[in-house]
Amino acid sequence: MSRHEVIIEVSISLLIAFATGALVLAILGFNPGEVYSVLFKYGYSNLNYLLSKSAPYIMAGLAFSIPAIAGVFNIGGESQLYVGAFLGLLTAYYTGNPILALIVGALAGGALALFIALLRVYRGINEVITAIMVNWIFYYLLAYLIAGKFYNPQYSHESVPVPPSARVPSLAIFVIAVAVALAYYYLLYFTDLGYKLRVSGISPASARYAGFEPAKSVLTSMLLAGIAAGLGGALLVLGITYSIDDTLTAIYGIGFMGIGIGLLGRNHPIGIIFSSIFMSGLVIGGQWVELKTGAPPELADTLIGVIVIALAVPYAYSMLVRKIRREAK
Amino acid sequence: MIGDILNILSNTLFSMVPLTLAAVGEIITEKAGVVNIGLEGIFMLSAFTSTVVTFYTGNPYLGLLLGLLVGALAGVLHGVISVYLKGDQIIAGVGFNSFAYGISLLSLVALWHGHGSSPRVNKIVTLSFGDFSFSPLAVVAILVGILAWWWLEKTPSGLKLRACGEDPKAAEAMGVNVYRTRFYATVIGGALTGLGGAYLVVGWIGQFTKFISAGRGFIALANVAFSNWNPLMAIVGGLIFGFFDALSIYIPIKIQGMTGRVITAESNLFRTIPYVATLVIVAIIMKKVKTPRALGKPYIKE
Amino acid sequence: MHAVEMRDIVKVYPDGVVALKGVNLTVEQGEIHGLLGENGAGKSTLMRILYGEIKPTRGTIKIFGEEVNFTGPWDAIKKGIAMVYQHFTLVPTFTVLENLYLAMLSLNPKVTIDEVEKMAKEKMKELNFEVPLDEVVEELPVGVQQRVEILKALLSNAKILILDEPTSVLTPIETEDLFRTLRKLKESGITVIFITHKLREVKEITDRVTVLRRGEVVGVAETSKVSERDLARMMVQRDVVMEITKKPPTPGEVLLKVEDLWVKDDRGLDAEKGVSLEVRAGEIVGIAGVQGNGQRELAEALAGIRVAEKGKITLLGEDITNLPADERYKLGLAYVPDSRKVGLVYDMNIVENVVLTNLDRVTSTRRILWRKASELAGRIVKEFEVLVPSLNTPVKHLSGGNQQKIMVGREIIREPKVFIVSEPTQGLDVGATEFIRKTILKLRDEGKAILLISTDLDEILQLSDKIAVIYEGRIMAFDKSEEFTLEKLGLLMGGVNVKA
Repeated sequence: MSRHEVIIEVSISLLIAFATGALVLAILGFNPGEVYSVLFKYGYSNLNYLLSKSAPYIMAGLAFSIPAIAGVFNIGGESQLYVGAFLGLLTAYYTGNPILALIVGALAGGALALFIALLRVYRGINEVITAIMVNWIFYYLLAYLIAGKFYNPQYSHESVPVPPSARVPSLAIFVIAVAVALAYYYLLYFTDLGYKLRVSGISPASARYAGFEPAKSVLTSMLLAGIAAGLGGALLVLGITYSIDDTLTAIYGIGFMGIGIGLLGRNHPIGIIFSSIFMSGLVIGGQWVELKTGAPPELADTLIGVIVIALAVPYAYSMLVRKIRREAK
Repeated sequence: MIGDILNILSNTLFSMVPLTLAAVGEIITEKAGVVNIGLEGIFMLSAFTSTVVTFYTGNPYLGLLLGLLVGALAGVLHGVISVYLKGDQIIAGVGFNSFAYGISLLSLVALWHGHGSSPRVNKIVTLSFGDFSFSPLAVVAILVGILAWWWLEKTPSGLKLRACGEDPKAAEAMGVNVYRTRFYATVIGGALTGLGGAYLVVGWIGQFTKFISAGRGFIALANVAFSNWNPLMAIVGGLIFGFFDALSIYIPIKIQGMTGRVITAESNLFRTIPYVATLVIVAIIMKKVKTPRALGKPYIKE
Repeated sequence: MHAVEMRDIVKVYPDGVVALKGVNLTVEQGEIHGLLGENGAGKSTLMRILYGEIKPTRGTIKIFGEEVNFTGPWDAIKKGIAMVYQHFTLVPTFTVLENLYLAMLSLNPKVTIDEVEKMAKEKMKELNFEVPLDEVVEELPVGVQQRVEILKALLSNAKILILDEPTSVLTPIETEDLFRTLRKLKESGITVIFITHKLREVKEITDRVTVLRRGEVVGVAETSKVSERDLARMMVQRDVVMEITKKPPTPGEVLLKVEDLWVKDDRGLDAEKGVSLEVRAGEIVGIAGVQGNGQRELAEALAGIRVAEKGKITLLGEDITNLPADERYKLGLAYVPDSRKVGLVYDMNIVENVVLTNLDRVTSTRRILWRKASELAGRIVKEFEVLVPSLNTPVKHLSGGNQQKIMVGREIIREPKVFIVSEPTQGLDVGATEFIRKTILKLRDEGKAILLISTDLDEILQLSDKIAVIYEGRIMAFDKSEEFTLEKLGLLMGGVNVKA
């Protein structure tokens, strides 16, 4: 797809999203202009916070996009992030070592993703069904573990905290996330492994012709995705929240948001960096919107939802473009 | 003792309604070849709609109806995107969940300024026999399941619908309008899910809260897989999943009553049961799984 | 009154291809009429027009004396025409009865499944053939599935039945069963049009035959009055268009050896039934045959994309029977598939496509050296005279001819020792075709072993030193090309076993 077409698609979907949002706000009695100005002004003003908050989003975006490029649907980013966050937290708590915590978190996410991939490759089970189940199993499992076993005696609704020695400065997590994104970019576009993944996703018949094994692509892409998601969870906990509450609100939804981030970034690691920053601004802005105008932060969910829906119909865009061209003649 | 059993039975019957209705609806949709994972979003939207309608009109049955209609509209949206625009069905479903969640909460705040729940509204009738009570919609859910099974398996239109999900090219060659059939199937699925969502408020909980659905849309999807796309099994599945749902609420209360211990943490483990069960069943029985062959693949007419 | 009368049918496709150049076809009631021709002769196109699937650019059609203008297959069905395709239109996971019911519903929405069952049983009794009504279609052997399709057609009261290469999916015994059924149908007054490229079948089952070649009718005859030889001559006769001077072959040692190869196709049937071949260095072996006789499966098995059930493949003395494709490529094998969608990745650009089978040449410790790849691509573009705005153009924006050049050029530039190429000049204009053919000859003169698979007889005749004729997965004959006359080739391609 040419750069041209990409920009058009992204712009149109953003336009539709914000237009729909404005409509909804207006109907509900809020002032769209006011809401949007707060959203954008406060969402993007604190650079430090913006960038650090976007770090886990970058990871979640990669977790969706890398398998997507290889033709696999990974909506298990949620649980892969959960285990990364949780095991990263525990490692940090028991060892005080942030680097170890990050590694453990990444590996945990990778293992979980690999599980889903193995089910698909060797048992032929659809990865969407498995992912949904695994997401919820781990949600409740972690809720149990945090509320029941690893709770903080002082604040019983929170998990044990990350000790100060293991905390990662907020800008550092952004740098790490960007570094990983760049590493994945390099992997995808400059190594033979990445090339094989891309061909397998675009044209499985051509991949077979070239002798690329489809199973290998599925497993590799999912492993990479899980590592990203797990690392994202660990970064989130070690750099921003320092603990997980017993309803997991701090980490819930980021994996799902990764789908939108990946799509908006056109499944490209560099694009994902930018779409993550954009989305994270929306989320931050949403919180400010609540403070300043009373409209709840879930506005961000609405906007993101429309963006995702709009990006689900690429055919519609090519139809649209063709129609415009025909009429221009 | 008897009281406990009746209590659990009642809660099971309350809990099974949305799980069964949505599952049966989604089975119809998927048998035609379309996958809609936006059930969670439909639950939220229809629950909220029924709350608003009931609040302003005082009539919970109207609320039920409008909730159903909202579900149908959601089905229309998904149908247009999936069938006519040939969009990616999974992505559209994921997006819809976010969107519906956002709109429901935005509207909640806009209308009632509180955060987290709406005021209580009138509920539809509940049938009670001492300690044992259930909603008439439980009966409706079971009837819908039976009717859907009979329709899909025993009628010509059901045969045509199933053909769309197995081999749309062959179906088209035999005169079936695949686009139209898939579209209607998606709308019907949405409508049934909408009914289930509306029921959550006006038939059971009595008010709209942020957690009114709490993943039930996904349990319904699990039920679809668990039932092997058979509406009769979806009724059984609804009861089983409903049972565990009820258990996970009931047992902590009971234990607290008996021993004074609060086991909110452990109750989370109960909630994993429907998902673990589905995973195990799907992983083990997958060989005999009757997933519609053309599920999720957009049909493009030559 | 004729059953079918098609006059002056012309079909020109939007991209300019002329499929039919004014064809006349007359079919009498109650006869079995054969439609014979090679690939691209226009047989399927003509029938699809008769069946209402496509519209003719010009011409008239009369069915039982009435002029018709079909807008779709449903019009044709209502007029009593039914088509049985090579690829069945049955829902594989439904039972036979459910499929019949579905088909009947479109004609009569009120019919019940019991009525359909009754109708089906009566018809089967009348024609004395059996179809198991309660079995799931995909579990039935292909021959039985075909009978279901025929039954389906008959239940809709078809008076004219069109069968498109029906025996391509049948075993010899099933073929006999089919013929028996067709004779019974003829007795009950049904008209059958039988599309085929198999001469023996024409002689065995048809009353009259129309021979098509390159969109024109070259002969109509009463089957009893023509021999297979006559038919073969009509089918393949051509003026040789281009003369390419070929040096005499100097074959060296055997570089590719195939022994008793058995390969299954996607349906699980045997596509290759004990194929044995040898290709020597400095030699072009051409595999001639009508499409669908196992060529693709053979090529894929040799390339390593398809599993060999039995037999042995030896490359440069090494047994490669169980080696994956990329390993074979590294050993000096190159394969150009017959489908550009397989050989190229349409959404990727030229450079990325060149990398597809050249990964080992442009990679160093897992890193792709894009500069090297670009150079390689540049060389291909230059040597094969591909006109492109830039090397970064996505391949899907190139013309079919240019795409073909890149696909072929990419393999040639690897200087393989053994070169398997399938339909190398499809979609190319005369100039490009000549260029590619000259290049293949050059490779041969450089001592490479070339296996050429083509349904274009001209190409086979021009380029091959030796010819092997493939028919239903078997090599009918394998000999020096001088030993083959056009007539003999036609016979062999049509399945007639001819001794020299």
